[in-house]
Amino acid sequence: MIEMPVPDQTTLSRRAEIAAALRSIVPDGVIGDEATLKAYDRDALTAYGQIPLLCVLPVNADQVSAVLAFAARENIRVVPRGAGTSLSGGALPLADGILLGLTRMNRILDVDFANRCVVVQPGVTNAAVTKAVQNAGFYYAPDPSSQIACTIGGNVAENSGGIHCLKYGLTTHNLTGVEIALLGGERLRLGGKHAGDGGLDLMSVVCGSEGLLGVVTEATLRVLPRPPVTRTLLIAFDAIRAAGETVAAIIAAGIIPAALEFMDRRCIAAVEAFCAPHYPSDAEAILIAEIDGTPAEVSEDTRHIAEIASGLGAKEVRDCVDEAERMRVWSGRKAAFGAMGRLEPDMLCMDGTIPRRALPDVLDKISTLAQQYGLVCCNVFHAGDGNLHPLIVFDCMRGDELERAEAFGAEILKLCVAVGGVLTGEHGVGVEKKALMGEMFSAADLDQQQQLKCAFDDLGLLNPGKVFPTLHACVELGRMHVHGGRLPFANLPRM
Amino acid sequence: MRAAPQTEEEVADAVRQAAATGTAFEILSRGALRNYGRPVSADAILDVSAISGVVKYEPEELVLTACAGTPLPEIEALLAGKNQMLGFEPADWGPLFGEAAGNTTLAGIIATNACGARRFKAGAVRDHTIGCRFINGQGEAIKAGGHVIKNVTGFDLPKLMCGAFGTLGVLTELTLRVIPAPKRIATLVLKNCSAEAGFHALSQAAGLAADPTGLAYLPSKARAASAASDLSSSGVALIRVEGNSPAVVERLDLLYARFNDHDLATLDDDRTRAIFCEISDGGMFVSRSCDIWRLCVPPSQAHEAVELAGADFWYADWAGGLIWLDLPASEETAKRLRAITARLGGHATLMRASHEARTRFGVFEPEAPARANLTAAVKAAFDPGRILNPGRMYETI
Repeated sequence: MIEMPVPDQTTLSRRAEIAAALRSIVPDGVIGDEATLKAYDRDALTAYGQIPLLCVLPVNADQVSAVLAFAARENIRVVPRGAGTSLSGGALPLADGILLGLTRMNRILDVDFANRCVVVQPGVTNAAVTKAVQNAGFYYAPDPSSQIACTIGGNVAENSGGIHCLKYGLTTHNLTGVEIALLGGERLRLGGKHAGDGGLDLMSVVCGSEGLLGVVTEATLRVLPRPPVTRTLLIAFDAIRAAGETVAAIIAAGIIPAALEFMDRRCIAAVEAFCAPHYPSDAEAILIAEIDGTPAEVSEDTRHIAEIASGLGAKEVRDCVDEAERMRVWSGRKAAFGAMGRLEPDMLCMDGTIPRRALPDVLDKISTLAQQYGLVCCNVFHAGDGNLHPLIVFDCMRGDELERAEAFGAEILKLCVAVGGVLTGEHGVGVEKKALMGEMFSAADLDQQQQLKCAFDDLGLLNPGKVFPTLHACVELGRMHVHGGRLPFANLPRM
Repeated sequence: MRAAPQTEEEVADAVRQAAATGTAFEILSRGALRNYGRPVSADAILDVSAISGVVKYEPEELVLTACAGTPLPEIEALLAGKNQMLGFEPADWGPLFGEAAGNTTLAGIIATNACGARRFKAGAVRDHTIGCRFINGQGEAIKAGGHVIKNVTGFDLPKLMCGAFGTLGVLTELTLRVIPAPKRIATLVLKNCSAEAGFHALSQAAGLAADPTGLAYLPSKARAASAASDLSSSGVALIRVEGNSPAVVERLDLLYARFNDHDLATLDDDRTRAIFCEISDGGMFVSRSCDIWRLCVPPSQAHEAVELAGADFWYADWAGGLIWLDLPASEETAKRLRAITARLGGHATLMRASHEARTRFGVFEPEAPARANLTAAVKAAFDPGRILNPGRMYETI
């Protein structure tokens, strides 16, 4: 079970008074009744739920600031939330915390083709950004699988990825500016439409900070001209090792595909039964390679990839002849998570990243572990960037399967770290993986990160209980530097 | 006083001792960029040049790990041997400060965010830095990030270290993503181009499927001082494209079609390399003894920014997002440039000036109070005793 901060009894007892105060800030946007709050009690890490103290839905940045100023003054915890699609529990509420929902701040503020960027409020969905610019031939590259629902504020907080990260990067690589509100309400602009900032690159740590450093109130995103041609290859193998070697050989040949996705035999079968994308049914593994660029460039790279794959023993290389076939091939990959529902009612999706060369060994070990734990695990893998998504299927109503699935998942993540990888490639640490942070980081490493947290939020009220296995109070870390009797950031409001 | 640790552990020891005695360090390896940034008020030098060498290079993983003091040419040669390169096109600014070319180290490049012409497309140094080890101001060895490209485990401290000028920690090891080197590169030159027409063309090119990786404008005087001197009698706009052989042909065709109302020329691989190297490195300023400012603005504001800045000698990179200016380090210039960034967005950096001028006017864009407080708090989170490069970025940082 996940350990969360102990609720503050005083705050719990002041609920009505706090609701009134919030209503004075956002008159039409405070949710206090239990039945409606229930809709906000969890994100996409569905195993964990908690009814929040109250939920507030501001419509502008000034209201966000006012809520955060109030929270700092009254010593109340705050959990920011976008669309609630986090797979790691990043938006899991606290019993004594205000849930700060940003979905009503959903306006696109500026579409600026001259500077190739779009300025949005945090509640704008990922897919809406591309929609706003596609008529002019542009698009926004990061494409997490929840893109029709997930918000840009959440994408920035989690540094969300997607299937095109090897070539186009994560959110952090496509973000040129943010406005954030600190706990206390102060707002800061970091970056903008110009390159970089004069001083420290603070935006780079805000992105991916899982809502622990500040609340995103505006983001400036880079949009790219859509490549004229996109082509997709479906490549089937009799052996996982050959698929792994093919990935390495493609990269070594100097080709960076727009996407390079791997699925194992179990996953292929589940997907085929679910939506019939016509994958070769007898393959041990398939790769889906997508190449984009100018026409002759794409032809050349496609030919080269097909040659490499055949040379390494691919049993079939299918070049999607038209858009319909291309969409069908992708439909299978995109339905992979949903298809698990046909196998068992519950699923845990792991998210470690490994060096690509370790893939065959890691899959062997996962298969051994699956037998040990008596559970089924299907594997999809962003092969281009090494991000592995083992999908553990189970039924939480059957004995101790949830506990076994969680223990199995933890073993997989430890394995990822042991082969030189990391705990999470794109889903975030949240509450789900915080207990495993010690696998990757020493106590000193984690203390240093918490010191940074204290620089932004010395009261520790913003999204506590996430990311870190043990949350220290800032004074406990004992390094607050008092110089000549002055606190180093004297202008920040303090309790 | 000079400490010259030979291992990461010895760096940590030196910093721990310094923290105990309140000794402030200026961190140096070869010192090629020592005069970039505010002058440091230090009691001793921490020479980390011995912390050198490539730790691990896995071409098929597109990842390289090297010690902080590794000379950059060593890394570039190693990568070139596998047809790979650093994606941010590292700039060599040593010669701007009277140092020999090729004298920078990996940590020097990272700490000063020395990225070149690809910045507008490929991102800055931060966008390619995926892991690091450093010694914080209390002498603790800290690891952050990882050795894989896709990683969101914990705060992204390696990116914060980029461009922090050694004020947050002594870098000891860095892990970078690398990219395949393009098989071919070429440049389309728009000859006899006014600044206004040039910036307009660069902005148009940035949005084309030709996917340019270099977009620079050289007005007549900068052109005359550059490797492109023979290309035109006045200003030139330069559009670099790259890819496999058919891609370069197609991209040039796209550009030819779009800019057929201009007087055009094409440059091959070697000339493209030479000119963009000069553009990245500020090469046209090497033989001038002037002070240098670098002005970053939204690319669409470049022309207005240039007019307002009023420099006689200048050129622009990053589609207009970066303008190199020959302007004196004076109260008047500082005021004028800050007014430009306040109005158009962006920031101005006093890249080269005397010790006295850099102390007096500062080097980086002054911060508003709220931001300055946060910067001070972040500094205190890493280096509470202010013993690492104190004053290098701002007087109190």
